[in-house]
Amino acid sequence: MPSRPPAAELRRFVRRLPWALLGALVLWLLVRPAYDRFLCGATRALARAVESPPAALVVRDGDHVLLGRSDLPPDAAKLRFSLTQVHFNLVPFLALTLALPGALAGGRWRRLVVALAVFAAAHVLALFFQLRGHYAFSLGNWSLANSSSLERNLVGTARLFFDIVVTFGLPFGAWAVAFREGVARLAGLSASG
Amino acid sequence: MKAAKALGASPAGRFVARYVVLLVGLFAVAAWQPVDDRLVDPYTTFVAHESAVALRALGEQVRVDGQVLSSPRFAVTIYNGCNGLEAILVFVAGVLAFPASWRARLLGVVLGVVAVQLLNIVRVVSLYYVGVWRPEWFTTAHVLVWQTVVILFAVVLWLFWVQRHALAPARG
Repeated sequence: MPSRPPAAELRRFVRRLPWALLGALVLWLLVRPAYDRFLCGATRALARAVESPPAALVVRDGDHVLLGRSDLPPDAAKLRFSLTQVHFNLVPFLALTLALPGALAGGRWRRLVVALAVFAAAHVLALFFQLRGHYAFSLGNWSLANSSSLERNLVGTARLFFDIVVTFGLPFGAWAVAFREGVARLAGLSASG
Repeated sequence: MKAAKALGASPAGRFVARYVVLLVGLFAVAAWQPVDDRLVDPYTTFVAHESAVALRALGEQVRVDGQVLSSPRFAVTIYNGCNGLEAILVFVAGVLAFPASWRARLLGVVLGVVAVQLLNIVRVVSLYYVGVWRPEWFTTAHVLVWQTVVILFAVVLWLFWVQRHALAPARG
């Protein structure tokens, strides 16, 4: 049975949120160069593992990534995609986490590690499906020759799912799962019973 | 495994499970071509017109052509994805997933849609001025700043709705 949490707790959370957002932004900016490299490397490895011949081109270009194939002529279309768009959702997630009083107390930092691993997997898949979408839709005759109508539909759906649903839904979902006791206190739900 | 079972059995776990199902369902409906053509696309055009009204009130000579807002100083296109619909769906999924009365849920959906819509007008207007004064900051403001703010706004709005409206019967 839901019971009303003290409004003071929510006010405290909201007061902490701007500072938490600032902290999250600083963390994100510090980690981003290494994370961009990881993301491009992991996506390239995943793409090459599932294609034959392995020719995925995933090249970091500042805060963007160039997606294409290395076995096509150099003037073949390449997709330039924003890496910020892929992983900016770490910022609201970290801000929500830092704003929640005692979120990481009592060994709950392990849940943060698990949540960050989920984010990393989601980001790699988001970039992977951008690449597969580029293969399926943007390479003219090569796309038509190498992807069926069913594959194009599946890739288009997966790309939309990771680009929109996961990007916008994951920060709240991951926060609510990872720090369920604190979120339940704020929301007035019992986390255990 | 044990922890996952315990989470699934708890009210918080059930809430998150319902939230995920609703979120995926709502986005799937919004992405369906007939819904996109008849609802999402006209809605995006409506957002462009609302934003133009706000900018004209601020003295800007903007005109709207479909989903493009333009003036002699700058032009912005409101794409599907920049219309505030994502934040609305995240919020609505949270409201519908929460164990509240249908009256409270309806109130939450209506208030949430209006609040997110108002924030979205502020977002479009601010991005217009960023484009006019600091075009080099436009992408950062658009992708990083405003998308983050919109997500946090939806979560905070949801928490306030839970406290003020969803738990009212439990209080009384």
